[in-house]
Amino acid sequence: MVRSRFDSQLEQLDIEMIKMGALCEEAINAAMKAFSENDDVAAQIASEKENEIDRKEREIEGLCMRLLLQQQPVARDLRLISSALKMISDMERIGDQAADIAEITAFLKDNDTKSKVHIRDMGIAAIKMVTESVDSFVNKDMKLAKSVMEYDDVLDNLFVEVKQELIDLIGKDKANGEFCIDLIMIAKYLERIGDHATNIAEWVEYSITGGHAKMGMEEGNK
Amino acid sequence: MTKRIFWAIFGVAMVMMLAVVGLVFGMMYAFFSAEQREDLRSQAFYVAAGIEDDQMNYLEQMQSPLNRITWVDENGVVLFDSKANPEKMDNHRERVEIAAAFENKEGFSQRYSNTLSEKTVYYALRLEDGTVVRVSDLTISPIALFFTMTQPLAFILAFAILFSVFLALQTAKKITKPINDIDLEQPELAVVYDELTPLLRRIAVQNKQIYWQMRELKCQKQEFDTITSNMQEGLLVLDAQGDVLSYNTGALQLMGIETPREKANVFQLNRSEGFRRSVDSALAGIHREETIQIDGKICKIFANPVMQEDTLAGAILLLFDVTEQEEREKLRREFTANVSHELKTPLTSISGFAEIMKNGMVQGEDVPRFAGKIYDEAQRLIQMIQNIIKLSKLDEKQRNMEREAVDLELLIQDTVKRLEPIAEKKGVTISVATQTAVFIGVKQVLQEMIYNLSDNAIRYNYENGKVNISLENKEKEIVITVSDTGMGIAPANQARVFERFYRANESRSKETEGTGLGLSIVKHGAMLHNGKINLVSELSKGTKITLTFPKQ
Repeated sequence: MVRSRFDSQLEQLDIEMIKMGALCEEAINAAMKAFSENDDVAAQIASEKENEIDRKEREIEGLCMRLLLQQQPVARDLRLISSALKMISDMERIGDQAADIAEITAFLKDNDTKSKVHIRDMGIAAIKMVTESVDSFVNKDMKLAKSVMEYDDVLDNLFVEVKQELIDLIGKDKANGEFCIDLIMIAKYLERIGDHATNIAEWVEYSITGGHAKMGMEEGNK
Repeated sequence: MTKRIFWAIFGVAMVMMLAVVGLVFGMMYAFFSAEQREDLRSQAFYVAAGIEDDQMNYLEQMQSPLNRITWVDENGVVLFDSKANPEKMDNHRERVEIAAAFENKEGFSQRYSNTLSEKTVYYALRLEDGTVVRVSDLTISPIALFFTMTQPLAFILAFAILFSVFLALQTAKKITKPINDIDLEQPELAVVYDELTPLLRRIAVQNKQIYWQMRELKCQKQEFDTITSNMQEGLLVLDAQGDVLSYNTGALQLMGIETPREKANVFQLNRSEGFRRSVDSALAGIHREETIQIDGKICKIFANPVMQEDTLAGAILLLFDVTEQEEREKLRREFTANVSHELKTPLTSISGFAEIMKNGMVQGEDVPRFAGKIYDEAQRLIQMIQNIIKLSKLDEKQRNMEREAVDLELLIQDTVKRLEPIAEKKGVTISVATQTAVFIGVKQVLQEMIYNLSDNAIRYNYENGKVNISLENKEKEIVITVSDTGMGIAPANQARVFERFYRANESRSKETEGTGLGLSIVKHGAMLHNGKINLVSELSKGTKITLTFPKQ
């Protein structure tokens, strides 16, 4: 009886995590829509999602604490809960940064320059990473988690590219300065979102194997 | 059960063994004590006889007797003792056995040593002369005896315990073996204990019941699966926690899932916003409808809570693929918007001209010109409405469209004759190359198609351009080709020119006076006759449209 209650609480945790992941996807989707279509409604949605993500974080945190205190889980269950605790802080950061992007887009109206730099590509890559990291959590898919970690390089390279493009733009005309700084901030946020997605994928791996790929598998083999 | 039987048997064996050992021990001790007493007694008689014959001499001559012999006079003073100096001994009159001997001729008593390990048994006998002779024997006490026996006893007990463990185990196993061997699938065949027969019979009956119930359930499930798997719509049955209890192939296809995990939560299948809202709402007990997008498909979800006596038991999700419907709906909306716009344009002109005339701003000689314009616009309106009616008829594929043998060659010649004045006006020359071809079809529609194609070829042509109309009667199909040397259609627009009211170039629509419905009618006409349309066009070079009709 006690055990089955524990199981159902774990399942509840799983569902809440999926919902939080979905909210992150929606937040960054809305933020990128706001960016590329100058859509004020989308920007509004992104900031609403961010609030919802914050609430969800508190909720999941509470659930994890209750599980830890009341059930005193061990081994795999403990890994699951502790990785969930770490994951939600990454998700929360994704939500924050999506909202920040949406906020900056309110001041950007120059569509021409926007489409010249590769920020949209970065957005697409970041959305892909967030979606796939959540997918890997939902399906406990190690392979997908690994591919997310590897895909981070693509996003990093895009960031370098965007940076160079913006340097060139400022070089051409100093009047572009402020605008370019806003863009580089968005690019940096997207790059950070990619890092958080990578973290999520790593936590997925940890919760399955008990070790981190980057640190080798010594821990997992114990 | 084996364990219990084992402990029961073992327990009984132990209790019995201890009891038997105790009893035997007691009885044996009592028996030996009695023997000893008898022994002492007969010895006392011998000694007494000896004393009566020989007095002290007898006692003194006796060499180290087996038992201690004491002789006291009638006052209790010790006269002789075989183990001690009689002078140092106190008066024995008060000793239990001696006092009893004085009184009853013989006396008996036993005393334990301080450590309880030894017991001295005394027997006293009064002689004829009033003196008393006492014989005593030192033996070990029952407790001491018990302690000296400990080691052999322990050996015996250990052996007995081992043996009874073994026996108890064997017996217990033997008792339970037939019960373990009962085949619960066919309990009625087992011949075990009479006591178990009613139970086994009951199990047999219930087995049968379960079998039938399972079969029925399986049938029902199969029925349900067959029905649901043949459904186009997706069906998901959830429990109160949102775990998927049942699904059909339609649902998997719609949601783009290959193989779902066992007992997956519904949010593992899809986590989009609308989906979450509808599931959460249904699991809160409220019906909800949502339209969501899955992989480019538009999907309508009906989420229904399932209540069982006021408590929520789960939810049923129905998913419909409404992509086509939505697209058609979009087309319909566009069509309505276009129709209203297209109808409004000539009406606005008519109304404008009529208003000027009504206000008396038109001089008498100008009236025919204005009236002519009103007439032209009205004609255009009528033509457009006629086209719309034609299209809607084609849309409905009305059965009452009678098919007949149509001489296409004649039809083309007629059409060209009708179009010649317009062509002349534009300076376009029409050349016709036909073969004889008779086709079973709807004459009116075919005529309309050829007219529209030729009309377009002239209308969207340059001055001094050319129009070629050809008719080929091939073995299996009839091919009509209309080509021109006109403006052509841009590649981006080529796919759309068959849409209703679509015009490759909006700005030209005014001067060319088209309705935007011509090619749409051609497309529907071709569909009606199972024909195919092929369009090849290059901007500023010309357009070639080929109609291919299969011969029935």
